[in-house]
Amino acid sequence: MTKRISSKIARGSGELAILSLLAEEPLYGFEIARQIGERTDGALQFTLASLYPLLYEMEKRGWVEGHWQNNHAGRDRRYYRLTTAGRKQLPPLRAQWRSFFQALDSLAGVSHA
Amino acid sequence: MPEPVKPDWMQIVRHHLAGARSCRQEIVAELAAHLEEVYEESRASNICDPEAMRITLEQVDDWQALAMEIACAKSQEDSMDHQSMNQRTKSFWLPTIAVLFGVGLLLLFLDHAAIPQRLIWIACMGLLLGAAGSEANRMNLRTSSLWLPGFVSLTAASLLMFAEEIVLTHDPSFYFTDISLRPGHLISGLPRWFYIGWLLGQVLCGGMGAFLSRRGGGTPAARVVAGAFPALVMFLLCGLVIPVSALFEHNTTALSHPSRLALGILIWAAVPAGALLLGAAPFLRESTPQAA
Repeated sequence: MTKRISSKIARGSGELAILSLLAEEPLYGFEIARQIGERTDGALQFTLASLYPLLYEMEKRGWVEGHWQNNHAGRDRRYYRLTTAGRKQLPPLRAQWRSFFQALDSLAGVSHA
Repeated sequence: MPEPVKPDWMQIVRHHLAGARSCRQEIVAELAAHLEEVYEESRASNICDPEAMRITLEQVDDWQALAMEIACAKSQEDSMDHQSMNQRTKSFWLPTIAVLFGVGLLLLFLDHAAIPQRLIWIACMGLLLGAAGSEANRMNLRTSSLWLPGFVSLTAASLLMFAEEIVLTHDPSFYFTDISLRPGHLISGLPRWFYIGWLLGQVLCGGMGAFLSRRGGGTPAARVVAGAFPALVMFLLCGLVIPVSALFEHNTTALSHPSRLALGILIWAAVPAGALLLGAAPFLRESTPQAA
């Protein structure tokens, strides 16, 4: 299993992680946290405390919007979907992170660590 | 071995966020749903109940910090919500309420047209509820668990009284509350049956208020207040508004007969409070958590 990344780094990457997931399909909070954990092999993990402030912040910026809907188990869950503004954020965010990794690599050689 | 009782996650989140500005019903419900899924996922992996509880509660190590972060994330959104009232509320509910309220006041001032007056007040109450429904997603916990259910209970109690006055007496000038000024009427034929019928209706009104309060995430105390709201209003009316207005108007008849006011409180506040609370009682317990 991949080593778990510290929560501070994970939180920094949260926006990109959430936007990338929601670009595929609308999801509710618990599903977002679970899919991030599963798809990063446990390296990135979001708890309730780290996920929701971020989601609400992104909602405030108009990147995502939430609406109540029944999930497959018939329960009311608040699903988040990407807005047009959120979709526009994805390419520049990806580019920023790419530059960040390249910069860190040239400085600390992280790709060979 | 019996299944452990499922935790009430709404109650747990509400308890931890109590007093926080971010404690809106919608947020409480969303966070509670998340905790519930974490807990049930643990239980489904054959983790024992105490351990599942521990794992679930580890989702938040500092509730106060979480409340602050959510408040911070939501603050601007809230202030935007306050500024931009729902379009339907602005363009329909509020103007209609204002017009009806004005007409009702005019009729009251002219002191006639008892039936239209009553219908207008009922319509105003209904429209206010409609406006509240339209703004439902902006409500804070106190509004959704106390004020709104209390107002629904009050509207239902008033509606019942107006309906009895109009339908059963066929006399638009008859005000059911008149019987409190003539105690002898209460034990005589028709008014007695009206009163008993109205009291029975109060059981339903109290139940409705408490049920809506529980659904809105209200504490048992909020459910009691929401259920007994009509009696509280009548208590304020008989015990405060009428004596004070009599004092200002130098109404010596009302002031020299305090026993009538006391009787009014008994008939219109104390006894109905008992009936309302009887109806509210089944809803004072916590609701059963949703089955998987």
